[in-house]
Amino acid sequence: MRPVSPTHEPAGREAIDVDHLSPDLTRALYRDMRTARDLDTEAIALQRQGVFPAYVSVRGQEAAQVASASALDPARDFVFPTYREMASALAYGVEMVGYMSTHRALWHGGLHDVAASRFGAVNAVVGGPVPHAVGWAVGERLRGDDGVALAYFGDGASSEGDIHEAMNFAGVFGAPVVFFCQNNQWALSVPNDRQIAGGSVSARAGGYGMPGVLVDGNDAGAVHQATAEAVARARRGEGPSVIEALTYRVEPHSTSDDPGRYRDESETERWRDRDPVTLLREALLAAGHADEAHLAEVDARAAKEAERIRDGVANAPEPDGSDLFTHVFRETTEELTRQRRTWQEEVEL
Amino acid sequence: MTELIERADTAADTPVVELSMQQAINRALSDLLTEDPEVLVFGEDVGTLGGVFRVTEGLQKEFGDKRVFDTPLAESAIMGMAVGLAMNGWRPVPELQFDGFAYPAIDQIVNQVARMNYRTRGATPMPITLRLPSFGGIQAPEHHGESLEALFAHTPGLKVVAPSDPADAYSLLLQSVRSDDPVVYMEPKARYWERRPVQLREPSDPIGTSRIVRPGRHATLIAWGAMVHRCVQVAELAAEDGVDLEVLDLRWLKPIDAAGLAASVSRTRRAVVVHEAPLTAGLGAEVATLVTENCFRDLAAPVQRVTGFDVPYPAGPLEPQYLPTIDRVLLAVQRTLEY
Amino acid sequence: MAQENFTFTLPDLGEGLVEATVLEWQVAVGDVVERNAPLVEVETTKSAVVIPSPKAGRIAELHAEEEQVVPVGEPLVTFEVEAADEPQAGIVGRVPAEEARPARRVRLRPPSD
Repeated sequence: MRPVSPTHEPAGREAIDVDHLSPDLTRALYRDMRTARDLDTEAIALQRQGVFPAYVSVRGQEAAQVASASALDPARDFVFPTYREMASALAYGVEMVGYMSTHRALWHGGLHDVAASRFGAVNAVVGGPVPHAVGWAVGERLRGDDGVALAYFGDGASSEGDIHEAMNFAGVFGAPVVFFCQNNQWALSVPNDRQIAGGSVSARAGGYGMPGVLVDGNDAGAVHQATAEAVARARRGEGPSVIEALTYRVEPHSTSDDPGRYRDESETERWRDRDPVTLLREALLAAGHADEAHLAEVDARAAKEAERIRDGVANAPEPDGSDLFTHVFRETTEELTRQRRTWQEEVEL
Repeated sequence: MTELIERADTAADTPVVELSMQQAINRALSDLLTEDPEVLVFGEDVGTLGGVFRVTEGLQKEFGDKRVFDTPLAESAIMGMAVGLAMNGWRPVPELQFDGFAYPAIDQIVNQVARMNYRTRGATPMPITLRLPSFGGIQAPEHHGESLEALFAHTPGLKVVAPSDPADAYSLLLQSVRSDDPVVYMEPKARYWERRPVQLREPSDPIGTSRIVRPGRHATLIAWGAMVHRCVQVAELAAEDGVDLEVLDLRWLKPIDAAGLAASVSRTRRAVVVHEAPLTAGLGAEVATLVTENCFRDLAAPVQRVTGFDVPYPAGPLEPQYLPTIDRVLLAVQRTLEY
Repeated sequence: MAQENFTFTLPDLGEGLVEATVLEWQVAVGDVVERNAPLVEVETTKSAVVIPSPKAGRIAELHAEEEQVVPVGEPLVTFEVEAADEPQAGIVGRVPAEEARPARRVRLRPPSD
């Protein structure tokens, strides 16, 4: 494999290489990245059509997300996302109409079944779910099972105390956790050089006694390999690791953001040019894993799937007002029951 | 001694033993670890040391370092870890060493523990019991004498309980840990040591039930944690003056026993709520409102509040002046009697 | 019950006193004393007072002769006590003292109704 030394300046359209992966895998990665790209495009459109109040695009981060999630086993592992992991969820097999409903503001966290899909609720506290991954992983070892927890977080979250506490805990307990940092270089308006002292999230791993690697986050093959190694290591009982996938948020932070206020769009254009979906497509062709006809068929199916999810989310019923009260407690209280009656009598009418 | 008389008719099959609250909580944890293999006890210094108040003494030895273990010193990660363990099917009983150090974990407690079941629409229950040595009265350093009950009670999704004596400490902890909802279990440090003859009982009242510690007819003193003892002292002194005070131990600070409060105050027609926390937006305001809403026509006087002052919790020598004194409670009683 | 030693040091018996003279021991080594039993009479620059025993237990050692001047904070007497009967403070703070009879100033007037 070509040595990877990702930098903050994009390597243009320099080719990536997928020879180390099986054709089945690379075709699946392409399918999911393509579907995620189309769904992302549909989601941005839904926001502009007034269906979504807001949306956070994953464009440009499809390789980092799909290739990492695909290195896990959805039957025994568990993913702890933040709020920008749509492509990971899709690749992991999460029921996407439910997942995307959080962007329609139908339910905070999404309507997918967290326990069954083994993919956490969308969490808006950056860094907050990372200690959960450690607890889950410690629990896995206590039971003698071999599942691995993967926690996603961003360059902004890497500044949060919870991330540091979680890494230290994982190191002390030898917990099977993969700390996966998607460094998309912008924490809303703040760039890496004003966010990350020392310039590297992965370098911090050494301080917590675990390996840390920096990979080109737009190179699906490199991301998959790094994640698969970290997962295998954790599964063997050798403890946690950090992966920093260097990528770029080519879209605004959210559909309500105006990046013109804080960054030079020419930089964005250079990163748009190093598009992970295009890079993988070309690598598949170069490696002989797929031909144009196959890819055209995949593209068509991806577009259809994205439309199916879009229509599902757009047409999903709004939650019943009584859902306000349903899951506050497992065993509700008299007071909450009284308040629910008040809601029935004075709000529902 | 009224507590003992009250208990005499129950649990006749369990022997009366003399225990401190420390020991009663230790016993409850031991029984919980025995009955449920999914119970995990963890926190700072709870393992090898047995806890800074020796509440977890001997548990690691008995149950092993997989069930009872020390964590690094990071309160937020302790509570975050509890969330992850719960998501993986365990029943975590974390300890945060002192009340004031729950603040660094507030994000995990409020944003995660309290909401995860709601956020996931019941897919990931949070049967977490946070043990929190709480309240003042032991002349400890700053951040070791705080009363956070109003903050927790104000957080949707949490239940909050504060025992006042060893017997209740035992059964309320069993009840908290067995509950599938997250519970903040506030241990009154000042009451850790006093030994009392108690019968260890299975919980018999539903969550959210208060307890009449001392029946009386002229006014109801309402308290929780260490202030229950203070109110019993006041009631005994008042009896010398011919004033017969009822003492109600609220026990559950969420859910609050509105019916129990109403039953007592409707009889006595006067109420004084006593707590250690500062006055403004303290839980006493909630109690006073519930009493007023439910007993307005029966009340002979407005509900009185005797609380800490709206100042940071003070150092040792000022502690007795900050905490509700016997005289302050007596004066409040006098105000209700003369209203 | 486990036995352990507890050494009681001379407290500041008035505001800012630095020492006291032992007048008369009211216990001897080997005596078993109750908590609050008279322990020793000492004289300070302000007054002579009897110090009540802070522990229940057996007297293991007296650290001062009669007529000896003892600085505040120096050992006065060592008790052998039953460990389990003596609550140990936590890592911070102290075990609150239980007042035999709580102090009060306010007297109540019973209601007429």
